[in-house]
Amino acid sequence: MAEITESPESSPDPPETKSEQREEFDPETMRRTKPGVKRLVLTFSVLISFVIGFPFLWKSVEIYRAPLLFDDIDLLSKRMESEPLRFPCNFRAVFVGFDFGSADFDRADDLQSSISNRMDKFVSGTSPCGTCSSNYSVSVTMESNSRCIQSQSGRHSCSYQCGAISSIDFRGDDESVDDSLERVLGGECSGLAGKVYTVVIVNKDAEDKAIIGKYRHAWIVGRVQEEEAVEKIAEIFVKVFSNGGKEEGLIHGEFMPVGADGRIVLSFNLLNSDPQDWIYDWDFNMIEEHMLSPVVDTLGPVANITVESQVLYYTPKSSYAYWDEELKSFILNTGDLPFFVNSNEWHLDTSTAAGGRSKVLQLVLYIPSAKECPLNLQLPNGEISKANGYISPMWGGVVVWNPMNCFQDPEKYPAWHKISPQDLQKIFEVFVAQIRQLVGLKSDNLFIGTSVRSIMLASEKGFTEWELDALTRQHTCFNLWSCATTLSSLSRLVQSLPRMIIMDEIGKQVKLSMEAAKQAESDASHGIYAAAAVSARQSRALAEDAFFHPSIMSVSYYSFEHCFAVYSPFFLPVSLHVVLAALREWKRYRQEKKKYLTWKARVDASS
Amino acid sequence: MVLRSRPIFSLLLLFLSSYGFSTAFASGSAIEGGEEDFSEELLLKPLPDRKVLAHFHFETRAPRTPSYGRHHHLFPKAIAQLVKKFHIQEMELSFTQGRWNYESWGGFEPIASSNAKPPGVELWAVFDVPPDDVDASWKNLTHSISGLFCASINFLESSTAYAAPKWSFRPDPGSLRYGTLPREAVCTENLTPWLKLLPCRDKAGISLLMDRPSIYRGFYHSQRLRLRSAKTSSDGTHSSIILEQTLTVVLHPDSQKMSTVNSREPTLQPSWSMSSLFGKKISGTCVLAKSSTVYLQLDWGVVRELKNLENGNQVLGVASIMEESFVSNPAFVLSDKPDKVIREVDSRSEESAILYEFSVRKHSDLGPFDLGFTWKTPVVWSCPQLPLRVSRFLMGSGNERGAIAISFRSARAREGLTHAKSMGESCKVDVNVFQVVPWYIKVYFHTMKVFVDGKPLAVSDIIEKIHVSPSEDKVSPGVLEMILKLPCTVDSAAFTLEFDKGFLHIDEYPPDANQGFDIPPAVITFPTFHVNMHFGEDNLSKKSAVLSRFQENIPVRSYTEVLLVPLTTPDFSMPYNVITITCTVFALYFGSLLNVLRRRVNEEERFLKSKGKRPSALSRLLSKLSAKLGGKRVVASQSSARSSSFISLKLILKIILVAGIAIAWQYFSE
Repeated sequence: MAEITESPESSPDPPETKSEQREEFDPETMRRTKPGVKRLVLTFSVLISFVIGFPFLWKSVEIYRAPLLFDDIDLLSKRMESEPLRFPCNFRAVFVGFDFGSADFDRADDLQSSISNRMDKFVSGTSPCGTCSSNYSVSVTMESNSRCIQSQSGRHSCSYQCGAISSIDFRGDDESVDDSLERVLGGECSGLAGKVYTVVIVNKDAEDKAIIGKYRHAWIVGRVQEEEAVEKIAEIFVKVFSNGGKEEGLIHGEFMPVGADGRIVLSFNLLNSDPQDWIYDWDFNMIEEHMLSPVVDTLGPVANITVESQVLYYTPKSSYAYWDEELKSFILNTGDLPFFVNSNEWHLDTSTAAGGRSKVLQLVLYIPSAKECPLNLQLPNGEISKANGYISPMWGGVVVWNPMNCFQDPEKYPAWHKISPQDLQKIFEVFVAQIRQLVGLKSDNLFIGTSVRSIMLASEKGFTEWELDALTRQHTCFNLWSCATTLSSLSRLVQSLPRMIIMDEIGKQVKLSMEAAKQAESDASHGIYAAAAVSARQSRALAEDAFFHPSIMSVSYYSFEHCFAVYSPFFLPVSLHVVLAALREWKRYRQEKKKYLTWKARVDASS
Repeated sequence: MVLRSRPIFSLLLLFLSSYGFSTAFASGSAIEGGEEDFSEELLLKPLPDRKVLAHFHFETRAPRTPSYGRHHHLFPKAIAQLVKKFHIQEMELSFTQGRWNYESWGGFEPIASSNAKPPGVELWAVFDVPPDDVDASWKNLTHSISGLFCASINFLESSTAYAAPKWSFRPDPGSLRYGTLPREAVCTENLTPWLKLLPCRDKAGISLLMDRPSIYRGFYHSQRLRLRSAKTSSDGTHSSIILEQTLTVVLHPDSQKMSTVNSREPTLQPSWSMSSLFGKKISGTCVLAKSSTVYLQLDWGVVRELKNLENGNQVLGVASIMEESFVSNPAFVLSDKPDKVIREVDSRSEESAILYEFSVRKHSDLGPFDLGFTWKTPVVWSCPQLPLRVSRFLMGSGNERGAIAISFRSARAREGLTHAKSMGESCKVDVNVFQVVPWYIKVYFHTMKVFVDGKPLAVSDIIEKIHVSPSEDKVSPGVLEMILKLPCTVDSAAFTLEFDKGFLHIDEYPPDANQGFDIPPAVITFPTFHVNMHFGEDNLSKKSAVLSRFQENIPVRSYTEVLLVPLTTPDFSMPYNVITITCTVFALYFGSLLNVLRRRVNEEERFLKSKGKRPSALSRLLSKLSAKLGGKRVVASQSSARSSSFISLKLILKIILVAGIAIAWQYFSE
């Protein structure tokens, strides 16, 4: 076709005869008729139909992506970062035995404001998620000789019988004082969001002591000044009841060893490192029934716990212990602990029964062989560890137990022994203490603050009520935080892969997860701990389900390159034809029109 | 990190200590009844074709207590949790490499019937769940086992891979599922998790012998895991679950030793010892085992030969090989004195097998236990044969159709047909056939033909019972179950089935599709024949797990060969080729159509006329070139210029014509 539309100037010498015959009309530069638009319309209609058809084609190869609430997810994660969850808490200070006159109605309010000021000082700085800092109320009650005055905020709620505390004999033993305080203070509170924590200050001539009970109250007995008492009260409120009595930087909330489905599997392993020397066995049914089930029941609101056990044999440790002549035992330094667990020989399987995304915590009881017995762990300060065990956050704990007859010559054929209930009792006390540490609580019973040194009463269940409150708060907070991070990484992933299929189910899960997260936030702000914990757990589980949905993991997305490879053999040559044809027709039409116009101009000029 | 304990349980202490001591173990005693126990045994047996069979048998038993699946002492927790989670009543999993040689290693004996397995993986399980949930349980189980044993057992999840035999595989199965993976390669990564289930793993005891290179060098290797329930009390209230782990290997004794022996006496069997077979010795027992025993079994064939030998020599009494005090006899020497000689009691014949028992604890007291077996005189014997030798093969050629044939040949075995023959002409041999065929092998069951002694017979004369479930494309495999009733006098029998080879979807082909597809082996059971050995003493079975297995009434079973069917393999780049060629043709058509539509014929002709007056640049160049070459002036031709404009149309027409002819040719030549 190139030859047809070739421009006339390509022929250098025009025919002379024609120009002589008809000077007024040159066919190379002019024409008499109007150029036709038939072919022009044809080629352009093809081109336009292609252009119009292209979006339809694009739509047809587009893959299905369920709409995700990207904005909401961003909002949630921003909210979780900027302002951590705030649980409301109510603190109540009861002053017993302080003198006040009948006109001192403002005194309670003064005390209340001074306690609040002290508390603000303790809270200062960033408060970790899951505490009730910056969202609490304080009320003060003064009680003396069956006369009570209350601060403004505490007047309408949580009434207890005035004078009841004064009648308690604080000289009795701590357990009974704790129980009688619970009888007085443990009543229902109306109209208050969140839990109520009480500190009772008893001003009397007695040995100075501060005790934190098993329930939600503490008491300080002794001759104390008001200012001193305010300081102590504020510290107990903030450090113990709000923060859960944790040491700073021990285990953070992010390392809460709870699986995404809210379950923990406690896998107890008894390791006989060399059964040729001795074989030990345990009666685990008894241990579970009497020692572990109270702990498991108590932790119910935080996690659903199952207990398993097994006995393994031929499981040497992988680090080397040296003989210490002074201590008459084999010693393992703190530095060797990372190499203690022998993952080649210790088959601490994950539990098949648990399935899903449960967290398995391995709790190992290691019985050394004859050639490394007794085996003791040495603290960094050179002392021998009393518990003879250590924990590894998120993995579990190890306890070394030395048999009694260490230096006895082993018999030719080893005997079967059962660990005695007394020994088991001691071992499992250590294990429970390890579980407490693994979930982020203190393992000893002393709280040493800046102004107060108090004894914490231990519960038979392993966890006191205020500790459980703190755990629930923390766990709710951690679950929400983890839900937010999971969802935001999901949204980042989805946005970074524009050609990935997203099933409707994922969209639904994300939506439900967001709803649960919102529910948890509102429950938390209203102080409904249990409901908030449940919703938070649900939101995290749904977020993880969406993130680990099999369709995300396995469906390899239909890449753009693939699409291009399939369609280019047709569309590349055809579009070349169509575009070139349209261009040429357009060019020719303009040229011919110019010819016609010159002819017309000449005709007009001549006539 | 190191912590101090809290006095948490102070209240409990008083209560616990009151009864805690009473449950303490008496030292040295084995675990009490009703507790978990473990035993290890090894059976060695010389085979007629100069090889040695080693059969490891480990058995762990756990009572079904409320804490079952959660608290375990010896029983592997992982298996117990599987059993509990999927409600497994019975299960068997085997990993096998090599094929059991039924003719020279025996077919009519307990080990061949229960431990000779098809190559690759075989898994069957009986579930204790409602019939609707069986498939779901099976699928979950395959995935769990797959993870547990580092094998691709999860391929058995797809409904095309497993079958639910009604009666031919096992009688009265309940909810049974059966699947095989003939191509699964078996290696140490499968053995290690298997060993992990043993309390002593391979750290002590008999499992010390499992030297990986020696085991995998063997001719046959089958690693098996079997779970079954047993009632421990008569009223059935107490049951226990038994985990039976066996490893059956057929090894060749060290060739170097054999050659020195060979030079003196060519027919002498090779002598062997544990250290020459495995390269290791047993240096002690697994202290956790209730019993730890090594057995040496001599088949009835060897015993008969030895007796003949003794009778001929008249040196020693007939009873010599039976006596516990013997050290050597004219035929062979044992390196250690057996603790006990167990004689099979067979009502049917005079000769019977002999088992020498060695307690590992006793023999490894002074040093590592290394049982040696030295032949002194050449002995030739044969193993007990199957009633009918079974083989399966493919017929036909090409990629479209073929036929499967299963043939039976009479072996005239001792216990087999001769025994049955005495019952007269009316006697029949029952043969139970169970065959699973993948859906892409489309078997036409109506084409079944039966031949007995070379003569075709009506199908209904031979088949007593048949159950066929035809395959459904991409949904389920075809299953054939039938009972053949063959006359006892039969010499050979065969039946054939024709099939068409199906086409698979492109992504259903496995990697290396050109290798072909495996048809799982057929399972042949002889329900009227049972292998069981009887031993004189009654309490033996309580002591030994292997011997109690031998005493069970197991029907004789054998597996046929795996068949390899080549299917048409497509060119896997074909879709892209098709796309490319189709698109090119369309583009060509479209482009030329567009050009034709906007062609101006009149104008072209006019243009050509005006152009014809002077040659084109190309023709001028050509004529100049030819003039230079020829040395004379050539008048430029007009035709060349004329043809150039029509060339495209003509060319297209020609191409279309040729393509049309080619298509027509292809169509009519079919």
